[in-house]
Amino acid sequence: MKVIFPSLEFFRALQTLMQSERERFKRLGYFDTTFGVRVLDGPRAHQYVLRFEVFECTEVRAVNDLGREAVDFILEGELAAWVEMLRNIRQHGAADVTHSINTLTHLGERMRVVYDDPDGHDKLYRFAESVQEFIDLAAKLEIEFPQRSDTAHAGA
Amino acid sequence: MSYLSTIDFFEDKDFIDKYQYTLRTGELDLSWMNAATEKVQCEPQNARRGLTFRDCDVGSYGFTDMPELIRQNRSFAPRGAEIPAGVPDLQAEVNRKSEVWAYNIEGYYEEAMSRQWNATTDVPWEELRKYELPEAIGKAYSQLLTFLTEVEMIATDVPAKWMGRLNADFFEVKNFIATQAMDEARHAEVFRKRALTTGWGLMRASKANECNLKFLRDADSFAEASLTLHLQAEGMVLTLFRFSELISPTEVDKKMFRLVMQDEARHVGYGMQHLKWVLDHFPERREIIHRHLDEAENFVFGGGYATEVLEPFIILSGKGMKKENIEQGLKITAQFNLKQIDEYFERLDKCGLPERRERSKLALAMEMTRAVIAAQ
Repeated sequence: MKVIFPSLEFFRALQTLMQSERERFKRLGYFDTTFGVRVLDGPRAHQYVLRFEVFECTEVRAVNDLGREAVDFILEGELAAWVEMLRNIRQHGAADVTHSINTLTHLGERMRVVYDDPDGHDKLYRFAESVQEFIDLAAKLEIEFPQRSDTAHAGA
Repeated sequence: MSYLSTIDFFEDKDFIDKYQYTLRTGELDLSWMNAATEKVQCEPQNARRGLTFRDCDVGSYGFTDMPELIRQNRSFAPRGAEIPAGVPDLQAEVNRKSEVWAYNIEGYYEEAMSRQWNATTDVPWEELRKYELPEAIGKAYSQLLTFLTEVEMIATDVPAKWMGRLNADFFEVKNFIATQAMDEARHAEVFRKRALTTGWGLMRASKANECNLKFLRDADSFAEASLTLHLQAEGMVLTLFRFSELISPTEVDKKMFRLVMQDEARHVGYGMQHLKWVLDHFPERREIIHRHLDEAENFVFGGGYATEVLEPFIILSGKGMKKENIEQGLKITAQFNLKQIDEYFERLDKCGLPERRERSKLALAMEMTRAVIAAQ
């Protein structure tokens, strides 16, 4: 089944895949954080809240304004950067050296980590491998990306 | 052998007679069955999470109602147990809760236990065969790994040094710093192993870095050691691990740095929650904290900018030693330095020490770095 990115279905599909790989995530340890995803798409922003508890993704929902949500941090980037990252993950089975979440966000050039509370910010790093392996589950999805000139060739 | 028994049991007739009488008659004393302790039956509040310290935070066994000064227990008696007369005074050096406690300490411990990993088997070492690093990158990376191994060795020693000096009632803190000692030992292991797989081995130890590390190790109190180790040093090392993940030459290294940064971020979390606890419960320490940070930052500036520490970053982030690589490396390294110091101040601000940014000389280092970037 194809899932469209960005969409709530995409993140729900990752949630389902995580459930089916429970032992892998249990091995990584407790994963207790709630974070936001913001995909900037011209004047629009696709925004989602992902909640993780113990070894599971317990909640995925689309929201209108992440600024009003209690999240530890927000992963934010232009649609083209998200598409490039996901295509890379699909191509390699997991993010390569130039497309891990930390690499893309560290200097804030391709993507950014938005936060109010440094303690919340540090949760991205406390659970770094779990966050990366959750995003890497996208390698198992057939993803349909928007047919736009600025994303069509990204990372292809 | 500095501690001797006051009795030579092998020569004590009363003791031997009583021992033999019990074996011969089977008459048991059983007074321990009436220990004056609370009868409790703790259960997990969340079955998926298991039985946590928080679930066991009940009555005299719990930590919530623990007093600020531990006057009663000077032995190894576990908190909540009956303490018989005659247990030895172990002379714990730290008996004040606000010197060691942290908000959510029990949560950090449980997280630490569930997120342990194995440097031997969780890093895909065999995949390194796919990569061959250019000489300059290989040497710079080996130098970075040498520096990191040095750092992690002292980071193992510091919590281990303090563990036995804390009052036994600070059970959750002692257990947390035991996990930290294990984490740091694993970091020293993984960086050493990685250095020995580069083809170059270890490079040069750093005098400036070791002076800084000695300052960390020789702190006068646990509170000072924690402030500089958990919050200041590990906070900066956490930013460094994220930077190292960014400049990592292989996917194997990316994974290694993600694993170490998880542990480091947890230690920083403890450091932040500890400093918050200190400022909330022992506010008169504020000036002592500032004075300790004054010297800690002096060492940081001197150690962090030593050539054997700085130059590998420049070469690795610029991806080589050509002029254009070095120019790019200088820019990225300067950005990293700014981020490292800025995040340090952010954390102190959050802990309730917002005036540090104004008082600290590291702010001057930031201005110098910004001026250099602006001139490029």
